[in-house]
Amino acid sequence: MTIAQDWAEKYRPTKLADVVGNNKPLQALRDWKEEWEHGVPEKKAVILSGPAGVGKTSAAHALGNEMGWEIIEMNASDQRTAGIIEKVAGSASRMSTLTGIQKRLIILDEADNMHGSADRGGTRAITNVIKKSNQPIILIANDLYALSSTLRSHCVNIKFNSIPQRSILPALKKICKMEGIMCGTGVLEKIAENTGGDLRSAIKDLQATATDKKEIEVVDVTTAERDTKESIFKVLTKVFKGREPIEAYRATFSLDETPEDLIQWVDENLPNQYLNKDEKLSEDITAAYHNLSRADTYLGRVRLRQNYGLWRYAGFLLSGGTAVAKKHSHSGFRKLQPPSMWRRMGQLRSKRNMRDNIAAKVGLHCNEPIRDCRIDLLRMYGLLLKNEDYAVDAAYSLELDVDEIAYLTESKRVTKKIQKIYDASREMMHEKEDEDIDVFMHAPEKDRGQSTLDSMFSEGKDPAEENQMDGKEKDNPKPAKSQKTLFDF
Amino acid sequence: MKEEIWIEKYRPYRLEDVVGQSDTIERLRSYIKTNNLPHLLFSGPPGVGKTATAVSIARELFGDDWRENFTELNASDERGIDVVRTKIKNFAKTSPIGGADFKIIFLDEADALTPDAQSALRRTMERYTNNCRFILSCNYSSKIIEPIQSRCAVYRFRPLSDDAIGKRCRHIAEKEGLDIADDGIEAIKYVAEGDMRKAINAVQAASMFDTSIHADSIYRITATAHPEEIKALLESALGGNFVSSRKKLDDLMVLRGLSGEDVVGQVYRSLFDIDMPARKLVSIVDVLGEIDFRITEGADERIQLDALLAHLSIEGEK
Ligand SMILES: Nc1ncnc2c1ncn2[C@@H]1O[C@H](COP(=O)(O)OP(=O)(O)O)[C@@H](O)[C@H]1O
Ligand SMILES: Nc1ncnc2c1ncn2[C@@H]1O[C@H](COP(=O)(O)OP(=O)(O)O)[C@@H](O)[C@H]1O
Ligand SMILES: [Mg+2]
Ligand SMILES: [Mg+2]
Repeated sequence: MTIAQDWAEKYRPTKLADVVGNNKPLQALRDWKEEWEHGVPEKKAVILSGPAGVGKTSAAHALGNEMGWEIIEMNASDQRTAGIIEKVAGSASRMSTLTGIQKRLIILDEADNMHGSADRGGTRAITNVIKKSNQPIILIANDLYALSSTLRSHCVNIKFNSIPQRSILPALKKICKMEGIMCGTGVLEKIAENTGGDLRSAIKDLQATATDKKEIEVVDVTTAERDTKESIFKVLTKVFKGREPIEAYRATFSLDETPEDLIQWVDENLPNQYLNKDEKLSEDITAAYHNLSRADTYLGRVRLRQNYGLWRYAGFLLSGGTAVAKKHSHSGFRKLQPPSMWRRMGQLRSKRNMRDNIAAKVGLHCNEPIRDCRIDLLRMYGLLLKNEDYAVDAAYSLELDVDEIAYLTESKRVTKKIQKIYDASREMMHEKEDEDIDVFMHAPEKDRGQSTLDSMFSEGKDPAEENQMDGKEKDNPKPAKSQKTLFDF
Repeated sequence: MKEEIWIEKYRPYRLEDVVGQSDTIERLRSYIKTNNLPHLLFSGPPGVGKTATAVSIARELFGDDWRENFTELNASDERGIDVVRTKIKNFAKTSPIGGADFKIIFLDEADALTPDAQSALRRTMERYTNNCRFILSCNYSSKIIEPIQSRCAVYRFRPLSDDAIGKRCRHIAEKEGLDIADDGIEAIKYVAEGDMRKAINAVQAASMFDTSIHADSIYRITATAHPEEIKALLESALGGNFVSSRKKLDDLMVLRGLSGEDVVGQVYRSLFDIDMPARKLVSIVDVLGEIDFRITEGADERIQLDALLAHLSIEGEK
């Protein structure tokens, strides 16, 4: 039997014209491409940013294919230290113009996911590569602001948006036609709805639904077990309209949501659902918020102590506690809505992970168990980061990224000041790296098979030089620890 | 072989041995039939068959040599970004062995992967999809970053129904020559709370004392109070009989060896079976939660539980 191919890959657009939606950003990309036909433009790089599954990677490759440019790609699955970036992307981007007319397109995918220590100096190296390049470079990121302002200033910024349902539908229809699948009414609509503007997951869900079938109906769409707005609204209706705490609580079991996520939905809708007819505050709201704040207290305790046993109290209080809080019935339909923060939920989630990441960094740096780092030390680093005299040093010694600095200083967004601290700390790191050229000596794990470049660059290496490097490595202690700073207490 | 661990011994080999997840299993079977496996994300609580299903898929697809083309990384393995970039990527890149069309990488408890490591996984999942399919398992899919979810078909595993648990335990009892009484099965369902791992462990533990298994032996071996005892404890407290309820608590903890944490857990479950006004229930759950918190923070469990009973005795009289 032949293997059925993954449809998302099978139908990956190979021409820019086949990338659906996002017309304006695509036009901006074409404009930039045109500039390359008349020499080296002022901005040699673009950043394509936006949510998952909207065609960023496809557009970059499609552009390269269309132009007949040779493509060099590096992504988060590759190690990307300064040394490696310089070696792979840097060399490729400074091709002698004499060797041929054909250009090289350098794609740095997932550029916002540079790892603090494993990719040491990588972000900084990208900026340098761009500065010196005479070839086109495309950076791809989910979160534009995770890139340094210096880096951004060297690039044309192109933002991709999630794909509207009206563009997702024809894309799915086309695939069905090619695959010979008959669709009942509403099937594709349902798939499109479930995936919230992410065309890749829409295609995945379509294929999962259509496996082993020639005709598909709405009932077949069982694979998309991501929670939909509807399934959450159903539960919320039990919470806000019902009076049975146990029933409201049990309803939440059908969702794949942690109480951390659910409390956001309840909080968002509670005021509107329990307001009096005359739009006045009802005592029900106060009573409900009492229980909600108790629920939140348990969530906080879980966050601090990782004691997940307490989640059940939060789950019960936020659902059952809200249901019983009403003395009056609030009949009549009132619109439910996803939390306004919901759209940022991706970020919120990563914020939680961020805390763990930072705690780990602090723990490593101060030789403290991670748990202890949570409270006292994180707070103290927050204070240090707010103090001009210490900020850069602190950011440097913990190798913090911009978001982490924002988090520790309790800033809602990345301000200019934060960016400055970050850039200065990277500068410091970079100077360090120049001192111990070491980074270049640590030969990367070889990526056999995939990258022709690796072999291309390693072949010419002088073996004597390699030996010398090894010797040097032995004398030289690890660079990260070599400089004593204020924080090596 | 008496000392074998039964959850391993009775680990399902084929999808048909996985009980209680019928919708999911049916869809998965059609992937195997067409030899077309998308990347999969299994989410659900522990002990409901996520790992067992992943292994069954590999065995059905690859037959006896399944291990050659199946690799597993679980929470005890090193799972930072380096592993994703080296070990996982290398496995994904190299061609399948023997006649297989692709390989499978199973990332158990993928929510324990750092977000950085998850990010590093994305392009590997896409680029080598012809070579290699990923199966990820987690407790909540919201702990998996959006771009990975976008690359997977998501399947939810539910806590197992009492029926499914009863059925599987009877099957094991038959193989092992055990006799489980009906009340024994009821007790197993109670202690398992939808988790098959707990159920099978309880059966195996009880079997070490006697081949005939009753409710008593299950409760004893798992340090669980009979739900009726907990109910009696609560009713006596809520009836205002502080002293007699305190005596009951004594019996459970001293004679039966329950820990404070055990008692709190069971009280939580029993509260929902007791008839009382809805608001009272909510406030009692909150008090219980507070006591749970204090105990886990190191407070004395006897004092805390006495305080709970005193609180219930006053509440009950209102
Ligand atoms: N705008 C689009 N037009 C056509 N196909 C798309 C589009 N966006 C996503 N897809 C489908 O989803 C898959 C992944 O898209 P990709 O470009 O990798 O998304 P990302 O924005 O995450 O980089 C593609 O192979 C293609 O099948
Ligand atoms: N649905 C099930 N059907 C049959 N046995 C199961 C099922 N779920 C769990 N088990 C038993 O429990 C053990 C642990 O299950 P596992 O698949 O590892 O659970 P999970 O990965 O969901 O935590 C298995 O070895 C098996 O013996
Ligand atoms: Mg991409
Ligand atoms: Mg498991």
